[in-house]
Amino acid sequence: MADPRVAGYAEALFFVAAAEDDLSVVEDELFRVAQALRSDDDLGSTLADRALPMARRLQVVEDLLGGRASAVTTALVSMVVGAGRSAELPAIVDAMLERSAASRNKAVATVRSAVDLTADQRERLAAAINTRTGREVEVRVVIDPSVLGGVVTEIGDDIIDGSVRRRLNQLRESFR
Amino acid sequence: MTNRRNRLLAAPLLALLGLLTFAGPASASEETIGSCVVKKLDHLIEESHGDIDVVRHELHEEDVQDDFEACVEAPSPILPETNEIIWGGSAFLILFVLMVKKGFPAVRGAMDARAEKIRSDLDAAEQARLDAQSVQSDYEARLADAKAEASRLIDEARVAADQLKGDLAARAETDIAELRERAAAGLESERAQAIADLRAEVAGIALGAAERVVHSSLDSEVQGRLIDAYIDEVSGTDG
Repeated sequence: MADPRVAGYAEALFFVAAAEDDLSVVEDELFRVAQALRSDDDLGSTLADRALPMARRLQVVEDLLGGRASAVTTALVSMVVGAGRSAELPAIVDAMLERSAASRNKAVATVRSAVDLTADQRERLAAAINTRTGREVEVRVVIDPSVLGGVVTEIGDDIIDGSVRRRLNQLRESFR
Repeated sequence: MTNRRNRLLAAPLLALLGLLTFAGPASASEETIGSCVVKKLDHLIEESHGDIDVVRHELHEEDVQDDFEACVEAPSPILPETNEIIWGGSAFLILFVLMVKKGFPAVRGAMDARAEKIRSDLDAAEQARLDAQSVQSDYEARLADAKAEASRLIDEARVAADQLKGDLAARAETDIAELRERAAAGLESERAQAIADLRAEVAGIALGAAERVVHSSLDSEVQGRLIDAYIDEVSGTDG
């Protein structure tokens, strides 16, 4: 949140989504778009390629989200890409989610797991984090096969790593 | 000096002796034998009044014959005539006085000067000899000092060489020991590195196998249990 430009775009996205009375859906869709940009370098470089005409880049957004995301989400992503800020879009979405959660007096807990969590697991994990940190959180799950098993939870700068990957890394370190 | 003075005095005495010795008879210088005989004969004729017979008779007289023989007698080989003695003595005295007044002081002065010169030369020679001895002594002292210095330098050089030899030997031993230690350390390091590499390789193989086993065993049920265990761990209810 250090970049005022990112904060400004996040505020804009939050207010537009809230005004459309479709906030939770838009948040989920924007979160998935941000994860897709983080995991797909080609997509990110294509949307940030200034050599491509803006209409072509917006067309890529339309082809990616058209019919699979709400019109508000598509419009918001197109707005950011059209402003030439596609490289900052993941950070803008993270700031927008934190801003939205803060409006509900909550924090965002990004949970990376090899498999998706059930609704019960999400609720129990949110309760467990609340018990441990004393903070109300909204759980955002990121499917990350590199975790292998278990869960890695990130709340702001705090990381709670219970992944099989970490266990294997610890085992590797013990061999040295 | 006394010897020279005696020689100087002997010279005029010898001249006087020669003069007396080789001086001719006084008669010889005034009349000959013939004129003496003629004179005696005229005197006899005159006494005989011209009588030849008386003359003949007188001639046989012994005293007349002695008188005639006196004409043929040789003059004294020793005593000169009186006038010669006077002239010779005067000349001798004049010469002697001149010699005593002028020659002798001059000769003595020359002799004294020469003696002084010889003395000074002898003194100079003595001084030169002393100087030479001093120089020789100084030279010998310097030579002795030089020999002592050379000996000292040689001793110092020998000591330094011995010390250097010892140092080099000690350094060589130290270097050899260091090389041995380094070689041993290198061998140990290589051995440790080989063991570490082997261990890392074995660990990599083992971890790869474990990862594959884990990955194959992580079905949905196991994943669910892992997530549940994580939630329990986060909430602190895992005991």
